[in-house]
Amino acid sequence: MAGFADLNLPAGPDKKGLQSLLEAAARLGYSAVALNHVIDFKEKKQEIVKPASPSELFPSLPIVQGTSKRIKVLNRLTLIVSDPSHCNLLRSTSANIRLYDIIAVFPKTEKLFHIACTTLDVDLVCINVTEKLPFYFRRPPVNVAIDRGIYFELLYTPAIKDSTMRRYTISNAISLMQICKGKNIVMSSAAERPLELRGPYDVANLGLLFGMSESEAKAAVSTNCRATLLHGETRKSACGVVYTVKKPRKVEEEETTLPACKKAKTQA
Amino acid sequence: MRMSVPLRRLRQAPRHLLVCEKSHARHARSRHAAHVRDHAYNCRVSFLIPECGTLPEVLKSTIADVGEYYLLRNLSLHELVTHEFIDTFVKKGSCHALTYNTKIDQDNTAALLPTGKLILSVDKDTYEELGLQGRPSQYSGKKVMRYIITIDLMDPSFHPDSKKHKRVLWALKEKKPLEFDFLLAWCNTGAEGSTLMSYFPKNQIQTLKPKITFSTLRDLQCPVLQSNELQGKPEESCSTEELFEWLGAVLNQVSLDNKSFSFLSTYCCPQPNTIVEQAFLCTITGFIIPEAIIQLLEKLCCYFDEPKLAHWLTLTVHGFADSPVSWRESEHGFHKGGENLYNFVVFRNLDYWLQMAVGTNDDCPP
Amino acid sequence: MARADPPPPPPAAFERRVLRSAAEHHYLRVRLELPDGGARPSAAQFKQLVVTALRELHGEVGAALPVDVLTYEEKTLSAILRVTSSGLVKLWSALTLLGFYQNRRCAFRVLQTSPFLLALSGNSRELVLD
Repeated sequence: MAGFADLNLPAGPDKKGLQSLLEAAARLGYSAVALNHVIDFKEKKQEIVKPASPSELFPSLPIVQGTSKRIKVLNRLTLIVSDPSHCNLLRSTSANIRLYDIIAVFPKTEKLFHIACTTLDVDLVCINVTEKLPFYFRRPPVNVAIDRGIYFELLYTPAIKDSTMRRYTISNAISLMQICKGKNIVMSSAAERPLELRGPYDVANLGLLFGMSESEAKAAVSTNCRATLLHGETRKSACGVVYTVKKPRKVEEEETTLPACKKAKTQA
Repeated sequence: MRMSVPLRRLRQAPRHLLVCEKSHARHARSRHAAHVRDHAYNCRVSFLIPECGTLPEVLKSTIADVGEYYLLRNLSLHELVTHEFIDTFVKKGSCHALTYNTKIDQDNTAALLPTGKLILSVDKDTYEELGLQGRPSQYSGKKVMRYIITIDLMDPSFHPDSKKHKRVLWALKEKKPLEFDFLLAWCNTGAEGSTLMSYFPKNQIQTLKPKITFSTLRDLQCPVLQSNELQGKPEESCSTEELFEWLGAVLNQVSLDNKSFSFLSTYCCPQPNTIVEQAFLCTITGFIIPEAIIQLLEKLCCYFDEPKLAHWLTLTVHGFADSPVSWRESEHGFHKGGENLYNFVVFRNLDYWLQMAVGTNDDCPP
Repeated sequence: MARADPPPPPPAAFERRVLRSAAEHHYLRVRLELPDGGARPSAAQFKQLVVTALRELHGEVGAALPVDVLTYEEKTLSAILRVTSSGLVKLWSALTLLGFYQNRRCAFRVLQTSPFLLALSGNSRELVLD
């Protein structure tokens, strides 16, 4: 389904706050959201924790406005990387990593941006919108990322909170658009409060401000989110095989039904 | 230089179309009834009669005759293509069905036209799973994400034993079962109307009545119109676009008497205009079939059989934003809005104007 | 419906005009969301807020964009706005990025947009039929 999605709601300890965010997202017409767990290597050594399953967190999920379906809640992991060694976590054998539906990386340097686009096994690359671009976007890595089915994420909440950040958001977004030509963009909120969330059509209209076309902007809150999720599913199941080969553990359904081609690819 | 593309996009408004026609209701070749008949799915009908305090009995009873409709919960789509259903309803009368609470820019949607065509608008995944032949949606862009499948239930080659029928039934029943809530209306001249109720299980089907509201507007500023001047004449009459905006203002309770220097709003009734003491406004909301609207339009024309103060009256019809078609089988979509609506201005001498408006994802109205 | 012949003046000849993307204005149905218990803006304050939003994002030229508050209901904080078609994206983005009203958080929700004001009086997405 290409319903609307917001792939970035910060996952925090405040369950009540999160519940009200989910309710607001459902009321605004989002049919899926991802709870974002962030690992920042600048802070103390962090480990990838097992994300709580949404059904445990929220026994009854809110109904999406104007439909009869409940909102879908996913888990996302974002690594903020400022040194190549930080990326090792992605190659680690931690089984917890494949419990996340989406893996995102926020590269702080040009070199890491290049690595993220070209080699890292991730679904999303975050674009800095809160300060002046620390490096130039270059066409080769961006094109490789597009070919690999990786999406670039632009956040809009900073632009609501602060006028300086608003300027950076728009200017960085326009710089990116010149290189990626409006392709492979995902727009998300990173909203901490319901009043920071915006409706999907409102966000799509912001895309025009960032230099996207009408259809690219709408795709950035719908079909591109779906594509990111599909990319995540492929990555997840591919990882799963590696683990089951290395040390057998509880095999989940999705792994047993893996097509042969995927196995061959990951074993090679 | 760098800003040129974003700047251009900042100034562009989405595509839209407004078609204005004039003709005469008693003209042998007038297409007014055909235009109404071809617009299958209507959620709201409003009419406004200036200089009218109480509604004539004949109009009251016409409104009361706007039929009931049904809400079917969790209906498997394959039930609409069974031969029992086709023989009982589709072939005997005009059957209208439209998925309820589905959004055409996000969800799968289905509609059964009174012509017996079943139209599915489905996303790429569903399309691939169904394996039925269709075509890419006109409004899906370069990367096709939505497909349209049309199944003609009245096609003689769609008989129960045909390969075609079996395949469709299998696709919808086994391959990719689709379930929707449906709005349903059936109109069959001279037969008992309770059949739909008895055909479907009681806990699944619910009868709904159209909601009707009346109001009287006092001291309403009305534009002066001349039926043979679609574009209006300076100082003499208003244009069709001006009328269209004015009617929107009236139906949305917008204040009409602002000045160019008003802080809140500078909108005012187009010139020239006259103030009518009272105007009668009726709004019917529901799942309204074209037959009922044709009846109403006819009775509104008859309103002028007897001498009336009013120079003209209007009949406005709103389509469903998420219907897969607008007129006939023209594909309809939702971009920033899903507007598809039309409005008649019927003049005292039975000349009429017809205005048909659609948004971004629509063909030109017929 | 048998009816006598049409009245004396000759019936209008058929004429058809197609106006492509010609609407002078676009209309937005919007709702302002405020934290519980916050002061509700009057109609004039509401209009001022819209102008502020335009100025914050698009500067003085933005603030000069002709915008009409056609209706405003203080109870529900909902309004219908009218803007020149070329200003739709600017107005909409300005409302979306507005984050504060009188130093308290707020959010504008655009519920419907159309080049036809009449379309705003019958939005099937907002009708509850059952």
